[in-house]
Amino acid sequence: MNNTDRPSSRSALRRLLLVAAVVLGVLVYAYGWRVTDISLEETQDPIRQDSVTRALRELLSPDIFDQDRTSEFVYAAIALGCPEDGTPIEQPAAEPGKPQVTVSPDCGRGGDVITVQGTGFAPHADVFLRWIPPSGQSRPLVRTDVDDSGNFTTRFEIPRIRGSQGETHRLEIEESWPVSLPYFSATTRTVIEKIIETIFLALMATTIAVPIAAILSFLAARNLMRQVQLPLGNVLVGFILLPVGWVLGVTLLSPVATLGMAWGKELWLGLVGPLIALAGYALVDRSVNNVELSLHSLGYHARRIGMNILLLVITVFVIGALGGLGIWLGERLQVGLLADLGNFLGTLGRLIELVITLITGAGAAFFAASVGMELTRDGLKVLTGTPSHIVGGILGAIGGALLFAGLALIANIAALLTLLLPIMTAILGMQVVIMIFNRAVKPTVLAEGDARQTARLIVGIAGAVIAFFLAYDLLETGRGLVDGRLPSSLTWDVLGYQVQSIVAKAALVGGVLSGVGGLLAGTRAIFPLGLTIYNVTRTILNALRSIEPLIMGIVFVIWVGVGPFAGVLALTLHGIAALGKLYSEQTENIDPGPLEAIQATGANRLQTIVYGVVPQIIPPYIAFTMYRWDINVRMSTIIGFVGGGGIGFLLQQQINLLRYQDAGVAVLAIAIVVSALDYASATIRERMV
Amino acid sequence: MLKIEHLTKIYDNGVMALNDVSFEVPDGQFVVIIGLSGSGKSTLLRCINRLIDPTAGRILWNDIDITAATDEELRLIRRRIGMIFQQFNLVKRSSVLTNVLSGRLGYTNPLWSLINYFPRSEREKALEKLERVGIREKAHNRADELSGGQQQRVGIARALMQEPELMLADEPVASLDPATSHSVMKYLELLNKEDGLTVLCSLHFLSLARTYADRIIALKEGRLMFDGLPEDIDDERFKAIYGEDAVRVEIA
Repeated sequence: MNNTDRPSSRSALRRLLLVAAVVLGVLVYAYGWRVTDISLEETQDPIRQDSVTRALRELLSPDIFDQDRTSEFVYAAIALGCPEDGTPIEQPAAEPGKPQVTVSPDCGRGGDVITVQGTGFAPHADVFLRWIPPSGQSRPLVRTDVDDSGNFTTRFEIPRIRGSQGETHRLEIEESWPVSLPYFSATTRTVIEKIIETIFLALMATTIAVPIAAILSFLAARNLMRQVQLPLGNVLVGFILLPVGWVLGVTLLSPVATLGMAWGKELWLGLVGPLIALAGYALVDRSVNNVELSLHSLGYHARRIGMNILLLVITVFVIGALGGLGIWLGERLQVGLLADLGNFLGTLGRLIELVITLITGAGAAFFAASVGMELTRDGLKVLTGTPSHIVGGILGAIGGALLFAGLALIANIAALLTLLLPIMTAILGMQVVIMIFNRAVKPTVLAEGDARQTARLIVGIAGAVIAFFLAYDLLETGRGLVDGRLPSSLTWDVLGYQVQSIVAKAALVGGVLSGVGGLLAGTRAIFPLGLTIYNVTRTILNALRSIEPLIMGIVFVIWVGVGPFAGVLALTLHGIAALGKLYSEQTENIDPGPLEAIQATGANRLQTIVYGVVPQIIPPYIAFTMYRWDINVRMSTIIGFVGGGGIGFLLQQQINLLRYQDAGVAVLAIAIVVSALDYASATIRERMV
Repeated sequence: MLKIEHLTKIYDNGVMALNDVSFEVPDGQFVVIIGLSGSGKSTLLRCINRLIDPTAGRILWNDIDITAATDEELRLIRRRIGMIFQQFNLVKRSSVLTNVLSGRLGYTNPLWSLINYFPRSEREKALEKLERVGIREKAHNRADELSGGQQQRVGIARALMQEPELMLADEPVASLDPATSHSVMKYLELLNKEDGLTVLCSLHFLSLARTYADRIIALKEGRLMFDGLPEDIDDERFKAIYGEDAVRVEIA
């Protein structure tokens, strides 16, 4: 019995659950119905129906074309309020050869219907009727057509005009006919101008975003980054040297950049200088590389580092010279067609002038890090056992202090960013606690397996939570998160320097925590540098992508003012994030075989990417670039609503002025351009992939 | 001389692909590695040029410890070790010539190679290698326009660009038909006999192994099962390597 009972009771339960789920679903849906204000009454309101019909009709009657017309005017008199004695109103004298009209009745009150009859008009001409009060604005009444024999009959309502009782008003009948071919209306011409601006806005945003996104996409590709693993000691040395390199780069390389700039502005020096520099580099490179040096000799390292310093200096010089050249050309090319080119080159040159310090700093920082990693590699490899852990602890403490001090400086930008410190503390805390767990709980106590995994996870999460709240308490996070204030500007006296208290405190927390971590891990522990970079890049891209371009547009309008430039910046920023993700997914999908093969030939990492990855990703990258341009055109049509230029701005103005016929032209233009691009990009994508 | 000492590889998912494998290969030998799929053949070959990092054990090549090499040293070691693959692993959209030239990347100036510039001498050498494998006229075709056998020959030419002393071949003929298989194996044999290259080649078919090998090494579940001359593999050993149910398949 039991055996037969159980399935039926189970299926009954299942049925009940299904019913409950359906009921719940309907309830959720009903809630949604309410919060989104879905109402049938609004749709049936006759006034609203009337307005929407009119708006739609006007939108669908776009004012695309104009035509020159000639008009002739005839007048009739109508009294507002009929005379007591019923005498007819005196009409203007009919001129011979001109059309004639009769009105009946010739008097009335607001709202009365009057019939107008005309004779002697040009067949098929357009007729407009206007009401002209004795004083004030004339009002359009109706529009009608003249029949084959030159007659027309129409009716209109007398407009309700306040305070003009008893006066005689005039009825203007305008007969008009076209005398030219149709041509684009002024609205159309503005729309065309703006739609071109829109297309270029999208083009600029796409082209600026593409190279940046392409570079970032490699950092956000898991398959490429996963392989990048280094001993912790090396990573820490590199990290510690980043700020050192930055300072050195900014102080020592900036003069080189300035020199390049100065030469560039002299045209000939600007053209010849970089060429000589590059040729010189090639020459030195060729001659020194002919000497065979053993891999571990000082000479080998000295040569590599020397050549790289030379390359860095020459690169900075060349970039500076190109910037200077751009500025020089920008000042000279001012005429005609070349003016645009001059403006473009000049702006690029000034852009280089602006960011050259950043370039030199970043370049030198990464260079210093890589040199430090290379030089200490052999040394750190020798360290084992306790010394390795002690050195790990010291390096960890310095690195952690630097990282946290940096995060504290970032926290000064905005209150929400103060959260970075406790989050980082939690990540570090989790790692440290897991390392302690691995050491304290020997596999003999709890064998490797699911139970140990679970225990490790629980301990790790506990460590993260505790670390988070400790840091929350210590590092003024509440102040930022709850009160929305920036970190306090109080300073601590550190070795005679005045240091902002949060920076000092963060450095202390980070130093202690990373110090413990480094001590436990030792310099030989493998650090997943690639995955770390991958995760950071992905997080930033995802965060950026989730901010709508319209919101970015608002911020950029505040920065650079209303106009297409703000739109370009907003769409560029969003495009970088979106394309970065799409590109990196394509890179993750490549065939790993060629990569492996090229790696096996002894190619370095960059060569492996250029020869193994790039040929595989070019078609999908082109396809997604087209797709993005398509999206950008679509987005740039509305970015104007927040002041980002393009046709959206015009459309918004037309709608605000209730000029729906003009808006219709803009909507039509958007539809044509978007669907054309849609088609073009689909075709190109089809061919490429 | 290539020395494999107690080589063990445990993957992150816990699979033990190699279990304490040791053997030595004198220079100039043609060694064929046989075994079922998943027996660790590919892992073994990939450990030798460190496409896979072994978990334990050492690999010594001409007294250099490959397992301890840094990235920079590893690049210099890899230059002298050619490798060909079951799926050929060519960059399909690149030209045959570019594929062959990419075998030279370890030697060229990195900066020049990034803009796809190779000196004339290297280009000529690439054409020479293509001549040697009999497909010089295909140099400017796209790699994916070639047949499987031709693609594998491009793979060999690419490896030859490295001027290797050791050639690793990971199931080089598993994706090819029998006739083409033999032609590809003949090229490997030629390199072994004429140029004195040491060849380590993994194969599925015992018959192919018998034809070309100086020596056969058999792996089963990551362990070394057999190491000896091709003619020493009798029915009993065959069953031990391939399992009780296995039937010999001859490949003509």
